[in-house]
Amino acid sequence: MTVEGRPLEDAELIERARRGEVMPYEELVRRYQDVAVRTAHLISPDGDAEDAAQEAFVKAYAALGRFRSGSPFRPWLLRIVANEARNRRRSAGRRANLALRAAEDRRPDDAAPSPESAVLASERRAVLLAALNALRDDDREVISARYFLELSESETAEALGIPRGTVKSRLSRALDRLRTQLGPGEPGGLHV
Amino acid sequence: MSDRRDLMTAGLEAGLLELGRSIAYPAPAADFASRVAQRIAARPVPRPWWSGQSRLFGRPVRRAALVAVVLLLLLAAVAAAVGLGLPGLRIIFGFPPGVTPPPSAITATASPPGTGASGAAPGAGLGLGGSVALGRIDAAAGFHVLRPTDPAVGTPDAAYVETTRGRQASLVWSTRPGLPATLEPAVGLLLTQYDGHLDTGFFSKAIGGGTTAEPVVVNGSNAYWVSGQPHFFFYTGRSGEFVEDDSRWVGDALLWSDGTYTYRLESSLGRETAIRIAESMR
Repeated sequence: MTVEGRPLEDAELIERARRGEVMPYEELVRRYQDVAVRTAHLISPDGDAEDAAQEAFVKAYAALGRFRSGSPFRPWLLRIVANEARNRRRSAGRRANLALRAAEDRRPDDAAPSPESAVLASERRAVLLAALNALRDDDREVISARYFLELSESETAEALGIPRGTVKSRLSRALDRLRTQLGPGEPGGLHV
Repeated sequence: MSDRRDLMTAGLEAGLLELGRSIAYPAPAADFASRVAQRIAARPVPRPWWSGQSRLFGRPVRRAALVAVVLLLLLAAVAAAVGLGLPGLRIIFGFPPGVTPPPSAITATASPPGTGASGAAPGAGLGLGGSVALGRIDAAAGFHVLRPTDPAVGTPDAAYVETTRGRQASLVWSTRPGLPATLEPAVGLLLTQYDGHLDTGFFSKAIGGGTTAEPVVVNGSNAYWVSGQPHFFFYTGRSGEFVEDDSRWVGDALLWSDGTYTYRLESSLGRETAIRIAESMR
């Protein structure tokens, strides 16, 4: 959706959606569907992340009247996604583990490593992921938000529904516990 | 010691960033956004708790059929709207026979006090809301209700306002010379103004097989001339909610919006006369 080739700002799309237009909202959905599905998957890996994300978008549409004009849409949306995914995780009664992409699913822009380094990198990732999967939900969520979704501290705070100062302290403790999981043989977990 | 810890943290952070790019995320389907729109369209309009029995549970068969129609045929609707060159207006074709609102469901709230089955004001029983005096219709509706200035039409014989499903105001003209009967023998012309829009919003309409929706223009605005079998539709209310209009259909309908309000004019007068009347509204 463009005006003379210029993509509409989120704020414009939101204002139009608030007036009852769904087409601008569909544009917002397209902009944030990837990060929404990823967020749902990170919080509830064994759930239907796509369905959770869709439900969250529907709830967000209904809640647009409570959206604060001028504030960023992405973390506000992700908070709704996170809540939806947490509810589903709670209903499932257990939390599944995150998994790595298969090697052949490597992104086209990834540099092609040598076979030896590829094996080492793969092993490092597997060790780190196993340690991460062993953490409790709060720790895994704050690490996922900062390093996997690459949200800023303020975005992380809003998406997870915690004060900004808590993001720092929770992240610090989560990294400590991750280091503990990795054990003394893995300083920092990775020799990078 | 602190330096070593910082280095370890930096290494860990770099490793996590790398790990994040290797997670097996599911990818959204190509129609992800349109399916969200379908879900939004299928949401029931919340009813206030004091308005009596929930329509969702009061008419489950019809509601289920409605949702099924919306979900299954939305794609056809989009294609149809695009094909007709009217962006923003989405019409769903193929409303199955047998799902037409039963008269008993429609007349439940229609009869104003003091009107019986015979001798009732024209339009009573069509689900248009409560009867109001013509001079009070703007105040009752909460917006200015336009009236045709075409001399062939004259003054309305009855006025109604519906506020429990969005805001709608209706003007009804009795059958008379120049205003032949519609499917409702006593009604020659019915004009409804909805406090909602379809110009760029989501608007879907379910119409029966054999019904045609022909794109026309009213005062420069996109419009549809809908003729054939009974139909009902959704429009987008002022607060962004989807409102299902289930008032009874009495004749061929001209449907258009000025961007703020949506209008439906029903008569047996034919397309050109309907457009002429619509364009005379002030």
